[in-house]
Amino acid sequence: MATEIFMPKLGLTMTEGTIDSWKKNVGDTVQKGEIILSVETDKLTNDVEADTDGVLLKILVPEGETVPCKTVIGWIGAAGEAVPDAGAPAPAAAPETPAAAASAPAPAAAAPAARAEGEYVLATPYAKKLAKEKGFDLARIPATGYKGVVVARDVEGFVPSAASTAAEAVKASPLAAKVAADLGIDLKEVKAAHGRILAEDLLRYISETREKAEAGADAAEREEVKPMSGMRKAIAKNMLNSHMTSPTVTFNLGIDMTEMKRYREQLKAKEIKVSYTDLLVKFVAKALTEFPLLNCSVEDNKIIYKHYVNMGVAVALDNGLVVPNITDADKKSLTEISAEVKELAKLAREGKLPPEKLSGGTFTITNLGMYGIESFSPIINQPEVAILGVNTMEDKVVVRNGEICIRPIMNLSLTADHRVVDGSVAAQFLQRVKSLMENPALILA
Amino acid sequence: MRKITFSEATREAMAEEMEKYPEVFVMGEDLARQGGIFGQFKGLPAEFPGRVIDTPISETFIVGGGVGAALGGARPVVDMHFADFIGVCMDEVLNQMAKVRYMFGGQAKIPLVLRAPDGLAGGGAAQHSQSVESFFIHIPGIKVVAPSNPYDAKMVLKAAIECDDPVLYFENKVLYKEAAEVPEKEDEVPYEIGKARVEREGKDVTIISYSIGMKNARAAADALAKDGVSAEVIDLITLSPWDKETVLNSVRKTHRLCLVSECVKQGGAMAEVAATVAEEALEYLDAPILRYGAPFTPIPFAPTLEKLYRVYPEDLVKGIKGIL
Amino acid sequence: MCTIRCFEESVKKDFLNGEIPGFVHLYIGEEAIGTGICGALRTTDFIESTHRGHGHCIAKGADVNRMMAEIFGKKDGLCKGKGGSMHIADFSVGMLGANGVVGGGYNLATGAALASKMILKNDNVSVVFFGDGASNRGTFHEAANVAAAWKLPLIFVNEMNCWASTTPYRTTTAVENISDRAHGYNMPGVIVDGQNVFEVYAAAKEAVERARRGEGPTFIEAKTYRIEGHFVGDPELYRKKEETMEIFHRTDPLKLFKDQCPEGIEFTQEELDGILTAARAKVAAAKEYAVSCEYPDESEFYKDVYVD
Repeated sequence: MATEIFMPKLGLTMTEGTIDSWKKNVGDTVQKGEIILSVETDKLTNDVEADTDGVLLKILVPEGETVPCKTVIGWIGAAGEAVPDAGAPAPAAAPETPAAAASAPAPAAAAPAARAEGEYVLATPYAKKLAKEKGFDLARIPATGYKGVVVARDVEGFVPSAASTAAEAVKASPLAAKVAADLGIDLKEVKAAHGRILAEDLLRYISETREKAEAGADAAEREEVKPMSGMRKAIAKNMLNSHMTSPTVTFNLGIDMTEMKRYREQLKAKEIKVSYTDLLVKFVAKALTEFPLLNCSVEDNKIIYKHYVNMGVAVALDNGLVVPNITDADKKSLTEISAEVKELAKLAREGKLPPEKLSGGTFTITNLGMYGIESFSPIINQPEVAILGVNTMEDKVVVRNGEICIRPIMNLSLTADHRVVDGSVAAQFLQRVKSLMENPALILA
Repeated sequence: MRKITFSEATREAMAEEMEKYPEVFVMGEDLARQGGIFGQFKGLPAEFPGRVIDTPISETFIVGGGVGAALGGARPVVDMHFADFIGVCMDEVLNQMAKVRYMFGGQAKIPLVLRAPDGLAGGGAAQHSQSVESFFIHIPGIKVVAPSNPYDAKMVLKAAIECDDPVLYFENKVLYKEAAEVPEKEDEVPYEIGKARVEREGKDVTIISYSIGMKNARAAADALAKDGVSAEVIDLITLSPWDKETVLNSVRKTHRLCLVSECVKQGGAMAEVAATVAEEALEYLDAPILRYGAPFTPIPFAPTLEKLYRVYPEDLVKGIKGIL
Repeated sequence: MCTIRCFEESVKKDFLNGEIPGFVHLYIGEEAIGTGICGALRTTDFIESTHRGHGHCIAKGADVNRMMAEIFGKKDGLCKGKGGSMHIADFSVGMLGANGVVGGGYNLATGAALASKMILKNDNVSVVFFGDGASNRGTFHEAANVAAAWKLPLIFVNEMNCWASTTPYRTTTAVENISDRAHGYNMPGVIVDGQNVFEVYAAAKEAVERARRGEGPTFIEAKTYRIEGHFVGDPELYRKKEETMEIFHRTDPLKLFKDQCPEGIEFTQEELDGILTAARAKVAAAKEYAVSCEYPDESEFYKDVYVD
């Protein structure tokens, strides 16, 4: 009996995953526990193990393809065994089907929308008509019909997943939809000037694509089109979402790091090696316990105060970045924090961060100091309400007690969500961070 | 309302039309002395002396003579004894009855009705049980009707006799004995040849049949209703020229189609309906078209085998559930 | 007879010129039969004709112009251009139609006779023309039996022209005279010289009177010969042209007519030439008319399949 390989759901918020790479070819023998593929989600890349012994019979979803969680992506079974039709297995992923509930006494088991790229989608003519009208991609619609065919109720009950909503549920005027259908234009390619796609948007698209085509082969050589990786798509989505969600203000404040440097040297003398990031995590977490408005999140018209500090630390990777968080950073010792930061960074670079480390943060620190950056305006990691950018530490000429002197100064750039964090609150918080860092002994107070 | 049998209903129709039109007469085998082999002409010979004519066993004359009598100014009804025997006089149907109007540029009217008792009657076997209507829907120039109940039997026959085109009237042998309510003459609603009837409205599947096949359609719809499936039932009544619009409208509403008839499924009248729906309303279909009919064999004699030849409501129910 | 002859010659020429679609079967040499039979009928009497029916149609009084237009497939033809040579009819003169099916007319004529006698109760007589080939169809038996049994006003006119398409009569039929079969149905069977219009007429007259008196059908066998091929363009590989022409030379009813005239009927050669010239002119005008007519409009296509 062949066994399905599902797109795993790695963490609560994961809705879809991209096949990063198949580690086995069709026909290869696999053993239970052996890694057979890696999956890229919006946050990380995970290895997926075989949960049975056998032969990789079929790969349904090729590398680079994104499918919803719990979609059948392949089959493992005995060598030569036939793979059941798409209609055979019935995972729980199928959406509720109102039509089925209303009239069909015994609908066939729901088949997942597990189709290889280019695979012909078995669908009734009426289902196709409905999908076309609604702008749905048939290939994504799970089938509940006879013989695993997509029927009308599947289309009617289909809710495009969040990630694909923007791409799939193209809103267009009837005229634009008709013209696009007639000309064979994919509406997903067309940008709407005002919300939904109108005929004029279509005309603009047609003239633009014509210009592009006329630009000739040169352009093709000078440019290259590549699909975004799962992580890139996730970053793009998250950043855009944050930008559109939070009205932000960025506050800059220079901190005299003289005492902090000394404090770090003292620890080092005691064989306790910590980075400035570790120190920042510790000191900012302390400040956050005193300024709950910077450690909250906003949902509708409600403010959710967190009585814990999960400190996110942005980790740059070759192909993007991830923000694992240190849970309960306010309750952890500096050495604990230091060790955890190191471990998380290592896991992040290996793409092996456990999903739970990637969600649930309450505040984020992002450090660009190593690149000599003096000031920037970081974007909030939603649903948090503030993020602290860390800049380079430089010796600067300052005046202390009426005398000119040279001190190590580091700028902090705090971006805060003005929906809940007013300027004075942000300023007071930054001031508190400054005072803590300039007087490290206060950490014990 | 009074209840009469299908057979009585056809007799009433004949009597009323013979009363109304002196040029109406009926001829065929065993009509005058016996009242028809199924008793469907009983009483008419006495009521209309000289206008119920027993012919020799001469099918080409019965039909060809009917065509000639129509050309000569009469309004004949001819009886085929058993529908199976139309094979004997196929030329008279195919090349004479169906063609004379068109090929003579509309000079001729052929107000002729060919009555043909058909269907499985239990032991009639290969040459006395067939439903042969499907041959004739392939022939332009004739109309083909097949009522499913006493009231329609009467109204469709009256319409056929009054029709100036040749009409093949298929009457099922088993239905003859079935009784149902038929209004008195003054409350009758005339039937218009070419119209189907939505006998029962539904939303999940359209079941279409005619003649005795309607028993399967109705029984299946009843069974499905118990399981919460709402079937629309259409009685086609006229097989040629048939009521495309009523069928297409229903399929556009229910998105599923189940066709049933007693005749051989291959090349049957329902194949035309299926093909037309596929041609003209494919995009409204949410399931494959189901089609039930007899297997591709001559009709066997032994009851155990004849049983296998029939279609049953359970077949429809099972099939329909499989496409919901 | 002259009109029929000229008509057929004209049709033959125009068919060979490619002006007439389909195929045509000519009546040349058999003119005396249709003429003699129809001469004994009223306009209200019916005839059922055959694929070789131009002669019957003209003899029954059909409009020659509209006949020719029909054969050319024109909209002003008797059948609006939908029938053609083999399916020509003129109901206005009781010509109930040629029949493309050999032996297809017996039952129709019998039915018409039945309607006249038993249902409509008038004294119309029906005639069915058929060749020796058609006499071997089973339909003949059914119609002859019923007509005789019910004493229907019907006349069976057998044009015994010796050929069933390419097959000689004697190779397929045992009886010497087809009319011998009439006795089997208890109806009179008479033989006439099909090349003698007066003889044919006399037999027809008697048969018609008998029919109108309610005494039943008569079988008239008119001995003739098919001069032309089965159809125009028939290579006639089954017989020798010289023999055919020799027979034609001997039996041409137009040529024999003058000598066949019974007492009291006389024509000068000038009068006969004048009749032929007039017929030629009539047919030439018919051809001109047919050519001048339009083909049917496409809107005609679906008309007349049904009455409504």
